[in-house]
Amino acid sequence: MNRLYDTVEPTVIDEDLLKQCIEEQGTASEAGRIAKKEGLDFSEVESLRLDFKNILKIDNLWFFTNLVKLNLDNNIIEKIQNLDSLIHLEWLDLSFNNIEKIEGLEKLTKLKDLTLYNNQITVLENMDKLVNLHVFSIGNNNLSQIDNVVYLRRFRELSCLNVAGNPFAEGDYKSYVVAHLPSITYLDFRLVSGHMREEAITQYQDAIDVIEHNERDDQKKQEKEISRIAEEKELREAFVDGLMGGQLFDDLFLEDVDGPKLNQLPQMIEAYELYKSKFCKICEELVTFGLKEAQNRARERSLFQSAVNKAKEADKVQGVAGINEFLAYKKKVLTELGQVSDARVIDAKISELQEELNTVWDTLMGYELQLAEQLEEVNKDFERTMSDMSGTFTEIVQNYFTQCRELELMHHDKLTETALLIMEKVVKNELEEELPEDLRLLFVDKDTITNAVNTSHDLHNQRIDNKEDDIVTRVGNSKESYNARISEGEVQRNRHRVAEINHFLENIRDELEQYENLDR
Amino acid sequence: MEDLDIELSKITVSKPKVQENEVVPDKNAPNSYKSNNAKEIEVLNYAENFRRQFVHLYRDRKPLFLAPPNEFSIEKLVCTTLRPTLLPYKELYDWDGASQFVSDYLSYVPLECPNELPESLFSPTEVLRRQKGNCFDFSNLLCSLLLGAGYDAYCVCGYATKEVTLMDQSRSQCPLLKKKDTVLKEEGKAKENKYDVKPPRDLRSKYLIKMEERTVKERQDEEQRVKDAELARIAELEKPAPDELYGMRVHCWVLVLAGKREVPENFFIEPTTGNCVEADEYLGIETLWNNTNYWVNMQDCSHGIGEMSYDLGDIARWEFMFPHNDKPLLMLPGEEEYDMPLDEEEDEVEEDSDMPGSWVNEITIPLEDLQRRCPQGKRTILYKQAKYEIFAEYLMQDGMVSRLTEYADSALTQPVKSMEWFKHRVDKLETRETDLVTNKVTETYGAGRQRALRQHIYYSNQTGSEATRIMEFDGSARTDGLKAREETPAKLTEHYCDRDDCLTKRLVNYTKRVKKFGPAEGNEKPVNQVTEFYSRDPSIPADDDIAELTFLLNEEKIFIKHHLQDQRIIASTHEYLKPQQSEDKGQVQITTDMVSSFQVERRAKNPKLMHIYQTIMSLIEKEERCIENVRISEQEVRDVLEQRTQEELTTELSVSIYDTARNDTAKKRREEIERKKRDDEARREEMELDYLAPFLARIGDPAQMTAELAQQLKEDCLEDLKQRLIDMANLIQGRFEKETQQLQWKQNWYQQNQTTMTKEEEEEYVSYCSEAMFRIHILEERLNRHKELAPQKYVALESRLRGDNRLAEFLN
Repeated sequence: MNRLYDTVEPTVIDEDLLKQCIEEQGTASEAGRIAKKEGLDFSEVESLRLDFKNILKIDNLWFFTNLVKLNLDNNIIEKIQNLDSLIHLEWLDLSFNNIEKIEGLEKLTKLKDLTLYNNQITVLENMDKLVNLHVFSIGNNNLSQIDNVVYLRRFRELSCLNVAGNPFAEGDYKSYVVAHLPSITYLDFRLVSGHMREEAITQYQDAIDVIEHNERDDQKKQEKEISRIAEEKELREAFVDGLMGGQLFDDLFLEDVDGPKLNQLPQMIEAYELYKSKFCKICEELVTFGLKEAQNRARERSLFQSAVNKAKEADKVQGVAGINEFLAYKKKVLTELGQVSDARVIDAKISELQEELNTVWDTLMGYELQLAEQLEEVNKDFERTMSDMSGTFTEIVQNYFTQCRELELMHHDKLTETALLIMEKVVKNELEEELPEDLRLLFVDKDTITNAVNTSHDLHNQRIDNKEDDIVTRVGNSKESYNARISEGEVQRNRHRVAEINHFLENIRDELEQYENLDR
Repeated sequence: MEDLDIELSKITVSKPKVQENEVVPDKNAPNSYKSNNAKEIEVLNYAENFRRQFVHLYRDRKPLFLAPPNEFSIEKLVCTTLRPTLLPYKELYDWDGASQFVSDYLSYVPLECPNELPESLFSPTEVLRRQKGNCFDFSNLLCSLLLGAGYDAYCVCGYATKEVTLMDQSRSQCPLLKKKDTVLKEEGKAKENKYDVKPPRDLRSKYLIKMEERTVKERQDEEQRVKDAELARIAELEKPAPDELYGMRVHCWVLVLAGKREVPENFFIEPTTGNCVEADEYLGIETLWNNTNYWVNMQDCSHGIGEMSYDLGDIARWEFMFPHNDKPLLMLPGEEEYDMPLDEEEDEVEEDSDMPGSWVNEITIPLEDLQRRCPQGKRTILYKQAKYEIFAEYLMQDGMVSRLTEYADSALTQPVKSMEWFKHRVDKLETRETDLVTNKVTETYGAGRQRALRQHIYYSNQTGSEATRIMEFDGSARTDGLKAREETPAKLTEHYCDRDDCLTKRLVNYTKRVKKFGPAEGNEKPVNQVTEFYSRDPSIPADDDIAELTFLLNEEKIFIKHHLQDQRIIASTHEYLKPQQSEDKGQVQITTDMVSSFQVERRAKNPKLMHIYQTIMSLIEKEERCIENVRISEQEVRDVLEQRTQEELTTELSVSIYDTARNDTAKKRREEIERKKRDDEARREEMELDYLAPFLARIGDPAQMTAELAQQLKEDCLEDLKQRLIDMANLIQGRFEKETQQLQWKQNWYQQNQTTMTKEEEEEYVSYCSEAMFRIHILEERLNRHKELAPQKYVALESRLRGDNRLAEFLN
């Protein structure tokens, strides 16, 4: 030990050191003795002290996956690192080190108590993930900006804070901290009185108001975002995402260059608007239908699930009853055996028991077989219903898309007609108003304009087709995967149960054999 | 002419009374009891007219009970004898409470002549005063109360069976014993789910099943037949002897019609028992009346009254006396000319004008009587094979309020079961049910009893703490969540609820105690085996969550059964051998073969020695704690039993702080306060002495005051005050001077002897000085104050003398 203190050479965390520490810190009683004899897995250690060890670099701690408490104080650590595997850590002491920057704590989400006392930290940062922080000690550091304390507002649970000994904490910093951190109960190891809090809050009322206002805004935004995502997800699960509010219609014109320009022609504006409204209406109908259908599917699934659960429950009750009955019988026979000394009687009893064992096996397997058959049948029923449902769904979706295509075609015809009319006028130079520059380029000759209109139409059709294909394939895939999951689960369950029964009975058979051997 | 009529009718109707002479009617009764006013006479004449017409038309009908004499032998119309009164007790607001009260409060006297109408009808107040009466008195009182409480109630005069008229309930079953029809609610059938699995095919022979069903059915039928025959036989035996007066026994009871007070349908109340009665108890109805009208039944009652209609507006069925009627009328066509106010409002006006108000005083029942209920606070009712006793609250020493005893025979000689109800007991005992055959006693307690005990079942023939008993507790009120504790000599079972450690049940098996001589206290029942059952704790994986924990104390083994995992039917089990405790503690040898286990998870690896050590250690600790808990439980049982014995020896009744009559401490306090008040008053009177009296006495208490005398008096008085004030000032001045002088003297003495003084003397002197200075200062203050106040006092006395009413006129 002395060697550790005397040398200037930094210590490296290696296996020997760790073992030594664990042994020293273990209990001195019988438990400790056994542990020593048997050896202890690092992964079982919950608390580890590595203080006053002259450690420079945190390393080789990844075995300690169950570590809850870690002391690394009074070392010469310069950088927080290699702690990512200690995900169960709740207590971390890094005081009296040479740390300059807070980092490397992203994975320690369970951390409740963090001590960074007496380091060279200049900024509070990189702690966003430590949502459970209760106690935080950052005294005797190099924090110079008092407004940096506001960073700690995000820790709703934070109740104890120590900031004394920082450059910013020379003047009257307490009221600032108390005012800006409403959850603090103890500041620099002293209870924050209600009176003090009131005064502080009145002093900084304006600043706090602004902060709170911003926080509320952020929260609202977040909530909105969350609800939007949830909605999106719902639509996605109903296979009708990207259709709300004319999304698909806007998509049509995404890559189309000439289409929008042509539709801006004064003769086309009205038709375009009509087209848009009709198209959007169809899309909305499709969404409503999709959501309704999704509900139907969910209902069907829950029906199926409840039926299956019921059957499984009934089977479980049966099985447990069978097992308990057998166990009671076995216990009775074994107690009887204890009182009998005649070898023949014992043999007879044991063989009787073995017979019973076989009967139990038969019964349990019979139950299982019956359940498996029943479930298979039900699964088939359900699969059939689901494919029927998805079939109708696909058909109706296709129907909607046909309507979309028809609309597109109608619009295309109208556009062609208008374009040709204008072309004619251009050719005859009868056009009353001037065309915009980019449009005039299209109306050079008939081919160009026809091409432009056709390209636009093709693009639109392609978009619609893509969307339709996407929905249809996704419906099919989802059905397939769900059904696969169900049958997979069923097979799994069946194997599990059979293995369980066999394992149990084997165990008992072994036991009986031991009995027999014992007697001989 | 009319007067003559009344005189005549009086002579003919009122015969000299034979009975009831021992009770003299209330002398303080108001005049309305002793005479008829003009309106009443008018109505009586009207009634007489109605009676004459009725007799004329229906000669074969019995006379009507219309205007019997009251307790002062004055004829009164039955309608006016009803006095609708709403009493300020919530117990009497509902019909069942009111009828129960009437039946409890009055003692029943059967009619003198069972097939004749009574000769008189007393006022309800008189009935209450006498606390006894016949069925008419009962009905009259009850109907008054019900009408007051807003019911559509009527007195009914008719015929009833012998049992009813004699209030003989020994043939009917006690209503408390009637089994409530437990309507088994059909559980809402689980909705058909189209995915429900098909049941496995039934491979048994259909024919055999059918045959079996048939034999079972035959057997059941046979049993049923035997049972029916037995019941019929019993019914035959119990049939009452034929009654020669059947159908002629006059009775009076109460009818409540539907409509008011949310009464859904018409029903009868038998006032003598206070029960709601089926129509088949009564055999016929002659008349019925309430405070507004009088109806005569025109329907045929030869087949009982079950089929009768109570549509009182139907003049074909009910003949009414007064033409106003608040019932919807069923008028025959062509009778429109009959004067019949149809308008509701008009109706009420008419009502007032036609029917005089009741001549009876408002009914009052003192709270004490209400609480005492029965005459002398006790009442006994005999039912079929049962006896029911009622006691007033606080009457019985042990707080019993009622007792129901069941008998095996009709002669009430072999009691089999008794049920006792208690109230206001400090130990919160509420009921006690004793089965006199098996000696099983079930006691229930109210909430708030110590240790949250709610029920205690024991056998009175088994004594001591180790007998068979069941105690039920209010688990939510106990810190340990104990719900019930069942005990037999060899077993102790405890049920728990809502515990943090999920313990639900603990089962303790005892072995026979080894006979041993010595002090009894150390002799605990040896525990053989303890099993604890736990419910599932969702925070731990099922495979680590203990479901059953058995300590086999004799075999030094501990057995653990874990909870079932999802979809598993076999639980993991472990069996631990307890290590041998070597001499010096802590040195226990742990080996891997001390545990034998079955792990459901095949892949689960063998636990390390460390783990085994820790588990065994914690289990041993658990075992110790468990045994400790068992001993605590045993102790608690003993404590409870001891407490119970103590309580039974000295039963105390608690008195509500709001009960001013019975709360002794409150009473004492109140009396104390009153006494103090009286004392205060006496003292104040003393204080207000006449300040003029001595002066008046000096001049010889002149009867007549003159101006001169008054002036003299005033001057004397003022002079006296002045003298007293001066004396006072002088006194204070004198004291002041004396103190100052003394101080001066002391100071001188000090200055002379300063050099030769000891330290103590010096200290004494200093303290004396400061005290004297203080006294002087106070005296100075007082003197100043006196000087200040003296003129004020003088002026005050002067003004008071001016204001004195003896001198005032002469001085001003």
